[in-house]
Amino acid sequence: MIAVGENAPDFSLKDHLGREVAASNFKGKSHVMLLFYPLDWTPT
Amino acid sequence: MPQTEALLPRFRAAHTQVLGVSVDSVYSHASWAASLGGVSFPLLADFHPKAELAKSLGLYLDAAGISDRATVIIDSNGVVQYVEAVGPPGQRDIEALLAECEKVDGKGTPTVDLAEPPGIAAGVLYVRSNCGPSRFATWARDNLHLDQIALSNVSKDPAAAAELERASGGSQAPCLVVAGEATTEHDAIIAKLVAAAAVLPG
Repeated sequence: MIAVGENAPDFSLKDHLGREVAASNFKGKSHVMLLFYPLDWTPT
Repeated sequence: MPQTEALLPRFRAAHTQVLGVSVDSVYSHASWAASLGGVSFPLLADFHPKAELAKSLGLYLDAAGISDRATVIIDSNGVVQYVEAVGPPGQRDIEALLAECEKVDGKGTPTVDLAEPPGIAAGVLYVRSNCGPSRFATWARDNLHLDQIALSNVSKDPAAAAELERASGGSQAPCLVVAGEATTEHDAIIAKLVAAAAVLPG
């Protein structure tokens, strides 16, 4: 598992609203909270 | 997800963009999110190549074929500031995670204030039954909580079909009509709804 203090990897993924969302969108502008969850249609 | 959705203004105040991630497709995400009453923050499809992002963070559970239930907070310089995995059946404390984000924001890495989305006037989204693009446009409307955009199904209602013809000069659906302007093609419709209701930094 990645550790505190490490650089986060770059990513670019499609979202459910048709957008390409990339880590580079947020550099110098916003913090990011990634909420990983096992599967859709399960409790969150 | 609904609890996180309700706290979005506070995450925004802490200069934090919330991103949900699972190995499901964008279609599954959109349908599921709409069924929850609408999720307006991005749900990322870590779908192809499967779980590339989860794997790069060491959060993929190979035997189960899913990611862990885990939270990673990354500051605006791209440095990981918080990691927690609670296991697939585990539960997250969103209020406590908000406090962690506020702590990260307090460290003063560069951020910009996000403008409020401009919104959109009342309008009508014309859709068809058994039509994938109509469904995807409807999910976007639902996920963005755009109740001022009425839904009108031209497959079920001849009057609606006549109204679509009048408003757009054609019979193509999905079709979004706002302030006399008709937009066809579901990706253009969704882009319009997103621009009105869900601004991302950058």
